[in-house]
Amino acid sequence: MTPRIIAANLTVRLKSFYREKSAMFFTLAFPVILVLVFGTIFTKPEHLDFDLPVQDLSQSAASARLLDALTTDHTFRITPVPGSVDATQYAREHKQTLVLVIPENFAVLEAKRLGARDASVSVPLTYVHDPSSTSVNTKIQVLDAIVAAINQKMTGTPPFITLVATSILSEQYRFIEFFVPGIIAMAIMTSALGNALNMNAELRQKGILRKLATTPITRTDWLVSSILYQLILSIVSTVAILLVSYAVFDVRLHIDAWLPLIVVIEVIAFVGIGMLLTPFAKEAESASAVGNAFLFPMMFLSGTFFPVEMMPPFLQSFAKLLPLYYVNEAMRSAMIFVDDAATLRLAGVAAGFAAIAFVAGTFKTRWDGET
Amino acid sequence: MRHDMPNSEHAIVVEQLCKRYGTLLAVDNISFTVAKGELFAFLGPNGAGKSTTAEIIETIRAPTSGRVTVLGMDVTRSRAKVIRRIGVLPQGFSSFDRITVRESLSYYARVFGCDADVDALMDLTHLRSKANARFSTLSGGLKQRVGIAAALVNDPEVVFLDEPTTGLDPHARHAVWEVLKGLRERGKTVFLTTHYMDEAELLADTVAIISKGRIVAIDSPARLTEQHANYMRLTLGSSDAAAPALIRQMGFDATRTSDECICVPVNNTDDVRAILGAIERAGLSLSGMEVRKPNLEQVFLKLAEEHHSDAANEGSK
Repeated sequence: MTPRIIAANLTVRLKSFYREKSAMFFTLAFPVILVLVFGTIFTKPEHLDFDLPVQDLSQSAASARLLDALTTDHTFRITPVPGSVDATQYAREHKQTLVLVIPENFAVLEAKRLGARDASVSVPLTYVHDPSSTSVNTKIQVLDAIVAAINQKMTGTPPFITLVATSILSEQYRFIEFFVPGIIAMAIMTSALGNALNMNAELRQKGILRKLATTPITRTDWLVSSILYQLILSIVSTVAILLVSYAVFDVRLHIDAWLPLIVVIEVIAFVGIGMLLTPFAKEAESASAVGNAFLFPMMFLSGTFFPVEMMPPFLQSFAKLLPLYYVNEAMRSAMIFVDDAATLRLAGVAAGFAAIAFVAGTFKTRWDGET
Repeated sequence: MRHDMPNSEHAIVVEQLCKRYGTLLAVDNISFTVAKGELFAFLGPNGAGKSTTAEIIETIRAPTSGRVTVLGMDVTRSRAKVIRRIGVLPQGFSSFDRITVRESLSYYARVFGCDADVDALMDLTHLRSKANARFSTLSGGLKQRVGIAAALVNDPEVVFLDEPTTGLDPHARHAVWEVLKGLRERGKTVFLTTHYMDEAELLADTVAIISKGRIVAIDSPARLTEQHANYMRLTLGSSDAAAPALIRQMGFDATRTSDECICVPVNNTDDVRAILGAIERAGLSLSGMEVRKPNLEQVFLKLAEEHHSDAANEGSK
């Protein structure tokens, strides 16, 4: 391994990267765009804010009190539905997934229950709903909770069982905090593996590798140059993702020495795997196909976009064979759960993958066109 | 080590070299030497085994059997040492697209760890005006010249040029030839592979003709033509039907190649004079004539044909 040669390779590759403006833009911008898009879609607003059309057939002080209760914490935005229309018809026509109907005798029944203390009296509130809607269940649950609270209050005694939440996390975290470490890991993997594959296929196809074979560059020099180059790109990309995440979504992540360490491990692992895959990508065209065939399953099965726990058990076992799974878990363990012991264990497994990929990659890097 | 001691006379020694790809014997028991300071041309059609042989000598490929030494060093055992003392323009040379000529040359110089005078290299290869042009913007001829300059960054004693002018237009070929002449003037040993006869004839001190993995002839271009094509070719422009018969009566082998042309191999200018005199005396028409000295192309075609029929005979036995 010769530092002079590695420095020369690094200079040439960074200049090439810098001069290919569109590649540079997409390498850096793609993960940032993903963070912005998914972050915006999945970040829950501070207050749940649902539309709830209500047909108040009672039109009484009692029904007004109920509507007040539904809107006190701004959970529901009430839209009055005229008493003359059919609630089901209204839901269809106005594309509403849930319509609440307060019966005409609501005030009378309430008076019986509260005034006459007749415990046998109850009032049915009908809700017209569209069961095919994915969000309607959440609305119904919220509605249930509010109705339960009102009922509980009417009994006049404080509840016996209460729930107290204790988070396993250092702080309350949102989807975006789960998502950002995954995107960092994904961006590094895509770029490291893709660049290693494309660069080698391109150099081979053009005959540049044949020229390099007649110079004192060794396979180790070449692999180390690729790793350092990729490390620089990964650092820039990680910083970009973090800056956008902090600026736009005000994420709360714990950033310490683990992050750069995991980045280094991941780069070594995926550049090495890229070198291993080069025999399957003889041309630049097949390189991206080979890369995608490897990258996409890895991305979806390793818990980049959603937790691995959501997958069926056999896929969960499969995920545990993938290096990206350990990188993802290590990143989250370091940045969200702040659990050094778990991070050490997970990063250790990832480092094992990296060591194997590096050694195998060194042996598999071929200079000449011999088969 | 004894076998790594430099041999004072020979830059390259190839002994009983074979290279097999599966069932194909690409290089079939080749032996030859290249003297120091000589421009050695390896001439043969595509697929004859030229580049394979060159790449074994350049240390890119491993031989199946046989032994190759460069500057007294075994290419398989002393690969790292050999690489530092040779310069290679591989077949179909290419470099990093977005890197300029000057940067490319500096890169290769850094890789070799030598303090190359990049400007002087660009002067030698006539690339000074393109110093800041990116590789991807260069024409084929300029790219080849960058490759030649890159092959010289470590001031090598032996320079390998694998088909340096393939695919170039005539002007670009001449420009590359000028560079090659400059190399020879500097006393470099040059190993050139080519399938262009004129290139070998013009530039080489020694030509080895390779066909189907074997060397069929090896000598200076002048001696090769003398040995294998020691006749001139007289082409006469005459539509007279009687002309070929008349020439044949004189003991020459006349062939009508077209309605207007008759081709006659002759030994010397006296033969030419005698034939022209006979045509004049017979009152036959003569619209033009051309006498061509034999060249390497005829040698090559003749040898390739002989080798081919030998091989066919061997096959039929």
